[in-house]
Amino acid sequence: MTATDMAKITINLVVIYVIGGLIMAFVYAKTSPIMFIKAKEEKEAALKLMMPEADTINTLGAWEPHEKHAEYYAALKCGEVKINQVTDEKTGKMKEEKECLSPEDIGYIVEGYGKGYSSYIHILASVDKNFTVQKISVLAHGETPGLGDEIEKDYFLNQFEGKSADNLIVIKGETADKIEAITGATISSRAVTEDGVKNGVIMLQDKLSGEVR
Amino acid sequence: MSLKPKSNWELIKNGMFGENTIFRMAISLCPSIAVTNGMKNGVALGVSVVFVQTMVNFTVSLMRKFIHPKIRIPIFMLVIAGYVTIIDLLMATYARAVYKEIGLYIQIIVAFASIFARAEVFASKNKVFSSICDGFGMGVGFLLAMIVISFFRELLGKGELFGISIIAGNPLLIMILPAGGFLAVGLLMGFFNWVDMRFFGGKGASGV
Repeated sequence: MTATDMAKITINLVVIYVIGGLIMAFVYAKTSPIMFIKAKEEKEAALKLMMPEADTINTLGAWEPHEKHAEYYAALKCGEVKINQVTDEKTGKMKEEKECLSPEDIGYIVEGYGKGYSSYIHILASVDKNFTVQKISVLAHGETPGLGDEIEKDYFLNQFEGKSADNLIVIKGETADKIEAITGATISSRAVTEDGVKNGVIMLQDKLSGEVR
Repeated sequence: MSLKPKSNWELIKNGMFGENTIFRMAISLCPSIAVTNGMKNGVALGVSVVFVQTMVNFTVSLMRKFIHPKIRIPIFMLVIAGYVTIIDLLMATYARAVYKEIGLYIQIIVAFASIFARAEVFASKNKVFSSICDGFGMGVGFLLAMIVISFFRELLGKGELFGISIIAGNPLLIMILPAGGFLAVGLLMGFFNWVDMRFFGGKGASGV
């Protein structure tokens, strides 16, 4: 093999990879801002769904389950909604702006991660003021299709309503007050229940019960 | 591979039956076991593969005169991984609802032996349109195999099809676990080889 051959092969490979890289970078540059906005909107919609009766949801702080960034929120309900007439700065027209008077905490929402069978399961859990679970939802996961992905199904998720942190334990087989594991997916069930929701609720209790509300 | 040129329809048929990825060639067996525990998963992955396989064959065939034969492997890898990355990004942006359902499978496709094999065996040596037909046929053959396997696994393992309950009572749970995947693929492979030998005068898997 001569030096020319070596140069040919190298240039051939480099050129094709550069073209491939440029195409991928171009697609990424075009899509990622839209993806980011859509993901944010979806998160807000998911939060709203966790506590439909809340008027506003405020971020209280952040914590790091499994070294990932996760936030927790307070769900507020307005004692009274006052509608103010204000002038819009841009158009100069009058418009209505809602003002929340004497807001009251009706519960909290915590974002968390549970280490599952083949992925970190991204969850949201809402609790009332006594830290009893109201609702949970699975935002994203990479568990086995057909087995672990049953954690998204309502029959599993609905078990969480009304459970306190002490009862967030997975049991194989039937149970009256704990969480029943999904057949063939005990690890995923545990990840959601014990690693995700339970740790989140305990973290909320630790951080919030000391504060005067 | 036979050397006499085949018509495009023969190429498609060859991919679907004669050289069916799973049942005849026995490649890409990993997904045939990992994601066939439900019809929905099997079909979603199958459709994604039809698309990627056709596009990869098209691109490799288009580029075949510019690729130095000694470095064809890294270039095939780039083409496959590039398509998967772009489809992944586009779906995550513009088709988020669909992406939530099949996004996982799109990423699995990077490591598919069948796609790589067709780029190497066929697309790098043949004309563009023949390569598209070959890729499409191979993809559809894979899709058919996934449908057959997941049909039996979901029906026997869960008593359901597409998540809709069909059979009441206790299902054979083992069929949706990995062990059941090996069992289903092995038995079906044997069955199709037997059909081929008994009715079509084939020589079975060893005679291909």
